[in-house]
Formats: sequence, C-alpha cells, structure tokens
Amino acid sequence: MIRRHTAKARCLRVRPRLLALATFLFAVQGSLLISYPLYAQQTDRGKELGRRVKCMCGGCEDSATGCNHTGGSFSGPCDTAKGMQKEINERVTRNESDDLTLQAFVQEYGPTVLIVPPAKGFNLAAWIMPVVAPLLALVLVWFVARRWRHKGMLATASGPEVPSEFLSRARREAGKEYDE
Amino acid sequence: MDILGSFALLLALLAAVYAIVAGIAGIVTRKTLLTKSARNAGLAVFVLVTIAVGCLEYYFFTDNFSMAYVAAHSNRALPFYYKFAALWAGQEGSLLLWTWLLSTYAFFALLVNRNKHPELMPYVGVVLAGVQTFFLTLNNFVATPFAVLAGADQSGVMRLSALSDGHGLNPLLQYPEMVIHPPMLYLGYTGFTVPFAFALAALLGRYPGEKWIHITRRWTMIAWCFQSVGILLGAHWAYAVLGWGGYWAWDPVENASLLPWITGTAFLHSVMMQEKRGMMKVWNVWLVFTTFMLCILGTLLTRSGIVSSVHAFAQSSIGDWFVGFLILVVVVCFASYWKNRDYLHSDNQLDSLVSRESSFLFNNLILLAACFAVLWGTLFPVLSEWVVGNKISVGPPFFNKVNIPIALFLLLLTGVGPLLAWRKTSFDALKRNFAWPLLGGVVAGVIALIFGFRDIYSLICLILGVFVTLTILSEFYRGARVIAARDGSNLVSAVGELTMRNTRRYGGYVVHFGMVLIFIGIAGVPFNKDVQKEMAIGQTLNIGPYSILCQNFDRVANGNYDSERATLEVFRNGKSEMMLYPERRFFLSSQVTETMVAVQSSPLRDLYIVYAGRSPENGEPVIHAYLNPLVKWIWFGGIVVVLGTGLAMLPNRRTALVLRPVAEQAWGDRVPATVSPIGAIARRGDASD
Repeated sequence: MIRRHTAKARCLRVRPRLLALATFLFAVQGSLLISYPLYAQQTDRGKELGRRVKCMCGGCEDSATGCNHTGGSFSGPCDTAKGMQKEINERVTRNESDDLTLQAFVQEYGPTVLIVPPAKGFNLAAWIMPVVAPLLALVLVWFVARRWRHKGMLATASGPEVPSEFLSRARREAGKEYDE
Repeated sequence: MDILGSFALLLALLAAVYAIVAGIAGIVTRKTLLTKSARNAGLAVFVLVTIAVGCLEYYFFTDNFSMAYVAAHSNRALPFYYKFAALWAGQEGSLLLWTWLLSTYAFFALLVNRNKHPELMPYVGVVLAGVQTFFLTLNNFVATPFAVLAGADQSGVMRLSALSDGHGLNPLLQYPEMVIHPPMLYLGYTGFTVPFAFALAALLGRYPGEKWIHITRRWTMIAWCFQSVGILLGAHWAYAVLGWGGYWAWDPVENASLLPWITGTAFLHSVMMQEKRGMMKVWNVWLVFTTFMLCILGTLLTRSGIVSSVHAFAQSSIGDWFVGFLILVVVVCFASYWKNRDYLHSDNQLDSLVSRESSFLFNNLILLAACFAVLWGTLFPVLSEWVVGNKISVGPPFFNKVNIPIALFLLLLTGVGPLLAWRKTSFDALKRNFAWPLLGGVVAGVIALIFGFRDIYSLICLILGVFVTLTILSEFYRGARVIAARDGSNLVSAVGELTMRNTRRYGGYVVHFGMVLIFIGIAGVPFNKDVQKEMAIGQTLNIGPYSILCQNFDRVANGNYDSERATLEVFRNGKSEMMLYPERRFFLSSQVTETMVAVQSSPLRDLYIVYAGRSPENGEPVIHAYLNPLVKWIWFGGIVVVLGTGLAMLPNRRTALVLRPVAEQAWGDRVPATVSPIGAIARRGDASD
C-alpha cells in the first residue's frame, strides 16, 4: 500500500513534467507546422540550398527556390518546388548539414537534381576543362607568338639593308596611323 | 492561291539546286554564260521564297484555318501585328523565315557584287546555294508550313477540312518584342552565311590577298549587330514577360545564340591582323567557318531536343538533318583547308609580345575560351549521359563561376588592346597611356568600397569599367587634340572630325563603351532583392526605399484575353511616386494564363512587380516585388553598341591636301609652325571606304 502510494505520488510528481514537456514539444512542432509555408521561402540557408537543387517537376529548368511557373491560377513555385522547399526547410530546422540535405535529394531524384555537377568522378571534367582548355590554348598562343617573333628577328637579321628613304617613309606612315 | 506557296517553295529548291550545278559547271568550264545563269538562279530563289512567305502571311491575315500551321498558331481575335509575327511561332514557319532571310542576304550579296570579283563570285554563289538547298529541302519535305488540315468523312474518304477558329498564338509570344526578336536573331544567324561563303570561296578559288575580308567586313558587322540586338531583345523579353526578375538564365537556347556571337566578335577583331599585317589567315578562315557551324549547331540544339530547354522546340527528327548538314559542312571546310592550306601563309611575323597584334591574339584566346566554356557547359549533360550513363544538370551557377572571370579579363583587354601600338609598344608609351585610366579605375574602386560595394566581382567590374571608359575617352581626346590644334577648331567638332575620318576605329570604341555599360548593368545582379507577400486591399509591402500600397484588384476584358489587374501605389520616403499595374492575362483561345510585369525603370534601379495571382492556400492576391539595380544600363548599353556598329559601318570621310597660295589663306597666321603653310585641308564626303 505504502509502496503503491509512493508509486502513485511519484507518478503524480512526474506527470506535470511530462505534460509540460509534451505541451512544449507540441507547441514547438505546432509552430513549425504553421510556419512552414512562410519560412520555406524566407530562411536564408533554406533559400540558398533551394538554389542548389533543381525543381524536378519536369516542366522547367529552374531551381527549387527560383521556380516560377507562369500559367495556371498562380505564377510562382509549382507544387513540386514547394514540396522540395518544404523538405529543405524541415532539414534546415533539424540542423542537418548542407551535404546531407543535398545527398538526400540525390538519393531521391538522382544526380540530375543538383543544379551544378558535383566535382568528382567524370563530372570533375565539367569544372576542369573550362580552365585547362584556355590554359593549353594560352601555352599554344605563347609558343606561336614566340615562333613568329623568332622568325621575324631572323628575317630582319638576314634580310637586305633597308634604304634610308624607305625607312623614313615607313616612319611617316606610322605617324599617320596615329592620326587615323 | 492555296498551292502557290508550296509551289513557290518547290521551285525555289529547284532554282537553288540549279544554281549549284550551273555554278560548278561554270567554274570548271569557265563559261561566263553558265556562271551568270547560276547567279540569276540564285537571285530567283529570293523571289520565290518571298512569294512563299507572302502566301503564308496572307493565310494568317485572312484567317485561313484550313492551313494546319495557321490553325495551330493564330486565331481570329489575334491583333494583326501578332498575326504577322505568328509566321515564326512554330518550327515550320521559323525555318521558312530562316530560308527567306538567308535568300535575302544571298540576293543582295549576289546583286551588289554582280559586276565585281569575277573569279570569286561563282564560288560564293555555289556555297550560298548549297546552304539554301539544305534549308529549302527542310521547308519542302521535312517541315512544310503549307500542310493542310484533312479529315475522313463518314465513308472514310479523306477530305480537306478547316477549323472555325485557330488555337491561337502562344501567349508567351504575345509581347511586342517577340515581333522583332526572332527576326533579329535569325538575321544574325543567317547573316554569318555571307562571310562564310566568301571565306570558303576564297579558299576554294585561292583568291589572292585579303580581298574577301574587305568585301565581307560590312556583312559580318551587319550580322554581328543583328545578333547582338536579337540577344538583347530576347533578354529583355525574358525580363519583361517571364516574371522571374532576371534576363539571362544560361538556357541552352540562349547559349546557342551567344556562341556564334562570341566567335563573330573574335573574327571582327582578328581580321584587323590580316588586313594590317597579313597575319592570322588560317585563324580567320577557321573563325568564320566555326561561326557558321555554331549557327547550325545552335539551330540543332534548339530544334532537336538534344538538351533540355524551356524554349527548345519539341523533339523531332529534324535534328538528324542538322547533324548530317553539320558533318557535311565540317568535311567540306576541312577538305578545302587541307587542299589549299599553303595559300594561307602569313606575310608578316610578330615583332613584340607587347603590341596590338599580341593583344588581338589574347583577345581571341579569351573569346574562344568563353565560347568553349559555354559550349562545354551546354553539352556536358549530353556528354555525361553518353559516357557514364548519368544525366546531370549544368545550371546557371556553373556558367557564372566559369564565365565571370573570363568576361572580366576580356573587359580588361578591351581597355588595354587599343592603347597598344602595332608592332611594338615602348614602356614609356605604356606608362603614358595607362597611368590616368588605371588611376581612375582605382579611385572608382575605393569610392565604391567606401559606399559599401562589397561583392568582389562587381567591384572588379566597376574598376575595369571605369578604366576602359577612360582609355576610350583618352583615345578620343588625344586624337581630337591633334586635329583641333591643326585646324584651329574646338575639341567637340574635332572629335566629330576624328570619328568620321576613321569610323571603323572610333565606331569600335563606341561599341566598346556600350559593352562597358552592359557589364556595369550586369554587375548589379548581386545586389538584387525580392519580397513576396500576400496582399489584401489596403496592405503594404516594403522593399528597399519603396513602400507599395495595394489599392485595388480588378478584371478587364479584352477580345483576345481577360486580365486580372492589381492597382498599386508606390511610395518613397512617405511620398507617393507612381502607380503600377501588374496583371495576369487569361488567353481565351489557348486557355493559358500569363503574367504581365509592371516595371518602373531608372538608371539606378528597377522596381519590378509581378502579380503572381491568388494564393492556392487562402485565395489572397500575391504580389512579388523585385528591386534590381542597374538593369537599365544593359538596355542602354545595347543601344550604344548598335549605334557604334552603325558608325563603324559608315565610310570614312577622306581628307585631301589642296595646294593653295599662302596669301589666300584666311587662317594662315594661325597655322602652327610645324604645319606646312601650303597645306590646307579640304574635306569631301566620299562614299567609298
């Protein structure tokens, strides 16, 4: 009896705490539920992450944040984009890392959901080539220019002496070029 | 009348084929009669395609809904100017427009040069006819705009039929710019065929010297100018109609229009090397070839569905035709080059790495790097799918990351290049030419930093923009100062005189200045803001310095569409500034809704308001407001580019020295001692370049 009473008393002592915790959690969860549509578009981090994934509705090439479907009754993010924004917002609220959030989308939709290719594997080529190709071209131009210059110097050294009247005429014409 | 259009197109194809056959026969047999006959066939193609275009326009204006193309892209209530523009609303019509513009260019190229360059023109005629033949084949057999509607009657016999009204024009195209944007872009694409034809003809015919470059200079500039206008109009249309607050999304179709523009720009610069120094002959020929190939590739991307794009046409077999044609062009170009490569040896060599020549080399290198980066990003999803089986996305952040540094370096070269002398530039000249512009750029950067300009790319862009502007101004100033001192005129008229004496050079500077304005406009992007809010009547939305009060929502009926409109009053610092009326239009024939953005534009910023419609959750009207800084600079820069190109195409005003006795000179006393007293400058307007 005493034991039962003690247990009941303990139970009565604990219940208000549980109730308070439950109320708190409900309130937090409730406020989150209510605020999803609002915060999905207003959290900077959520917005930024939304810009890194593509809206997968199939009707546009926009990001989840930038989706702006015209037509229908509303011009703005389509239902797919809104769903993606909402999911991002939930993950942001849970304080998941960016990589984890993006990875979850990749698992759901495949790599095409990322708005830029990840810099790994074959996709690394997407990032490297626009840098490497101009550098190679630069090296090529450098060598071509040097070769041209070298040839030019050789030609001058081995060529006949230029008469002075030709030289003065050339200088006159070079001077005129400035005027032109 | 119903079959006139298709009959004209068929005849045009026959004429184009005849122009090829007779042209080749004329070249081989050297019979003038044959080459003239081929040329006349080339001219006839234009007349016949014009008849076909006229027929299709007639069907649109007379609401002939027995024609499948008219029924698909027009309706009775469509305003007449959109009926006119409906010609290029679909694949068949836009290909016909392409053919018509190409035949127009070919007509004028053949007509203007009919009594000139007898060794070159037969080759040019054959190349032009070859390209026309390809497009006319598409017009006749693959995507004919003259298909008629037909249906089976009760007995199962097919009979011609007609709709009572058409499906209407795509609402996205019902905007004034869409009346002129596609023709402008197509005038650019097709215009590059002319320099291509002359380059290939010169190579095939081993035409001596740089003559083909002189002949095609204006043609290239015309095509380049149209391409620039087309791209900018497309950007403005995207900005004003699509309602997303931006103007460039690196969409594959946008990229496709940019690629030939970039190589065309490189060509316009590198031809100067060939003209002045007889260098880069191989490079120039291949630049023209590449530009033309990129025009075809762009069309292939737009129409084949190879890449995902919001405004690519639906997938169709037409892409295979373009692939085939592209392969043929590559083979012909490469074979011609290989056979005649000895004809393209440089006359001169590079004297110094610090010279105008090397600046052109680097300019070309950077432009080609930009072209490669855009092409690579556009095609990488296809490549990735092909190689590893994964389709990936390459979106705007990729293009921005890769292209912004390239573009900024190009902007730097725009300032550096013109200040370097041909052959060699001394260190003293470098110091003299660059000191003030460089200082001006740095000062501008410091001021911008003080005013809170923190985005690094925008800051660099601003510094370089000021630097390039000052180099351009210094070029005008130094040239004008010499003329003013010699003529005794004031500086302003001396600037005019200077410009008209070398329109190409100073027109080019004006184009460079226009590009600076465009760059500065783009530099405003990082500072964009936007706010979206559900707004009942009487509610306010705040963005930047503006406060927007919702006054009313109403509906307006129109024959072609019904619109729902918001009436917004814009306040700034508590003072009413303007009324804006963003709307949403519901097009009755196509049952599609579109937004019509309200923009209040100023040099500092655009207030850009979209009425997004009613919220699906609670039915409240939703307003999306954007504050986009400096956007107006882009459109203004575009106008300056066009004016500069126009100026560069004008013939130079020549000066002639006229001997006159010293006593008769009214201004003889004012002549500086360094100027000969017998030289008085008389001017005459000369039509020749």
